[in-house]
Amino acid sequence: MPVGQNQLPAQVAVPRDIGFFEWFFDAGTWTDKGGILDSLWETVLLCSVVILVAVVISVPIAALLAHFGKAEVSTTWLVSISRAVPTFAIAALLVPWSLRRGWGFEPWPIFIALLLLALVPIYLNTYTAIRQVPEDSVDAARALGHSETSILAKVELALGASVVMSGIRVAAIQVVATEPIRAFLGGDGLGRYIRDGFGQSNNTLVLGGMVLIGGLAALTGLVFVLMERIMLPTGVRRLARQQGDTDK
Amino acid sequence: MKAIPNRRRTAIKLMAPLVALGLIAAACGSDSDDDSSSTEAVSTDGEIVTTEATAMDGPTIRLRGQDFSESITIAEVYGQFLQAKGYDVEIQTPAGFRTEAIASIENGDVDLIVDYIGGSLTALVPDAPTSADPDEIVALIGPAYEEIGATLLTYSSAVDGDAFIVRGDSEANTISDVAGLDYVFGGAAACFEREQCFIGYTSPDVYNITFADTVTLEFGPLLGEALLAEEVDAVQWNTTAPQIIANGFKVLEDDLGLHPAQNIAPIVNSEVLAAYGAELSADLDELSALITTADLVAWNTETDIELRESDAVATEWLESKGLL
Repeated sequence: MPVGQNQLPAQVAVPRDIGFFEWFFDAGTWTDKGGILDSLWETVLLCSVVILVAVVISVPIAALLAHFGKAEVSTTWLVSISRAVPTFAIAALLVPWSLRRGWGFEPWPIFIALLLLALVPIYLNTYTAIRQVPEDSVDAARALGHSETSILAKVELALGASVVMSGIRVAAIQVVATEPIRAFLGGDGLGRYIRDGFGQSNNTLVLGGMVLIGGLAALTGLVFVLMERIMLPTGVRRLARQQGDTDK
Repeated sequence: MKAIPNRRRTAIKLMAPLVALGLIAAACGSDSDDDSSSTEAVSTDGEIVTTEATAMDGPTIRLRGQDFSESITIAEVYGQFLQAKGYDVEIQTPAGFRTEAIASIENGDVDLIVDYIGGSLTALVPDAPTSADPDEIVALIGPAYEEIGATLLTYSSAVDGDAFIVRGDSEANTISDVAGLDYVFGGAAACFEREQCFIGYTSPDVYNITFADTVTLEFGPLLGEALLAEEVDAVQWNTTAPQIIANGFKVLEDDLGLHPAQNIAPIVNSEVLAAYGAELSADLDELSALITTADLVAWNTETDIELRESDAVATEWLESKGLL
């Protein structure tokens, strides 16, 4: 029996009447090809790249526009309106386009769709962060001879850091919670359990997918809170608390 | 005493949003009232029209297609046909797939569904052996439908069966030929747990194919897109997929007889059927006998490639057969 060569995806063998705990705590559920560890890695990798690219694009643009007060209404409107288009619709429209170009199911359609999702909170929070820095601080820095770029980097971004960070955190949680749509568009990742569970009328798999995705989203939020603790200087954090950092 | 008007004003201010909310609720409430009264009107209509000569005497026949274009068109064909015959028919918005269809006829939400007999077998009697012979399947699912209060009528010669599909340039002609080709296989999630699908293809007792990889896809046009883009080399789809002809795909011969017979057959709520007597089953049999596999392919081409509406496609076909 050539089972060794024919490595089937892990979910193939999941019986419909298996109990949740029996399934969840089985070692094979985690370590098989296409198991939870593989899926988790796929999800975490994609989400990390998306957030990284979103930060690299959003933060500088939002910071510059906010600092110089240029194109406020138009860009903010454009960014907000892009959120009105469902992420799934964007990804689903991009799949045939990607396939016909020979680029395959992944990563472009899901990457672009998630990137558009992530750009919004990071952009808006960075913009707000820069705008809410007290005029006095900026004027003082200017009087001390700081250049405009230096003011932006060392005063405005520094003082608004906690708001920028909470924007990134919100984006990361949204991306992690939305990434599972990829499983319905030719990919895998943690969404596979929802997809296979529905497709095979297997509630254990659907429940498993919900637990894993919800758990990862919660964990992501926690990691960012810890990162904010470690990365931001005590003064900035105290400032953020005083200003009533409500975006949590 | 001065404080009272003030307090009263505050009270009024506090009440304002509640009043607004109440108005909204009332507006919504009257909306749903309208809805229920209109459905009542329909049912009273049904009783009133019995006085007309052409109308049939009996309950409203509610039917619903499954949520994919072929099933939607089939539901329209059966629904419009019965309407033309004078039955009181309600064609509901398509929803769900086989599981939902069978559940809805079991709990009395709908009175008529049209399903593929092999699919019904897998859903109703999952442990029974499948067969390429429709009569063997009917012998199994007939009693199973009786158990849930429904009657399986005569199946049509129209078949929408499982199909193992490859690109036109593939060297394989039968599914057995695929064994040595190291293909990437694409199918819907349900395929991977079915004996007549992925499990049968890979089982050493049946086709014993070793696939290089598998991709899980939504059942539908995405399968064809994936095959065309060479993301996969073989897909599990159905024999009536219009993209097979449009894209020059090839349906491989099921040389070991793995795929069950998938003729379409109407399933009617037994009480509704009894209420109409033999006439309803005779009418439905007449229609089922007229539909062919080629019709299914033609309908799917019109709805999925030419993007026409299912109800218009159904009307046109019924007119061409002189049934409207």
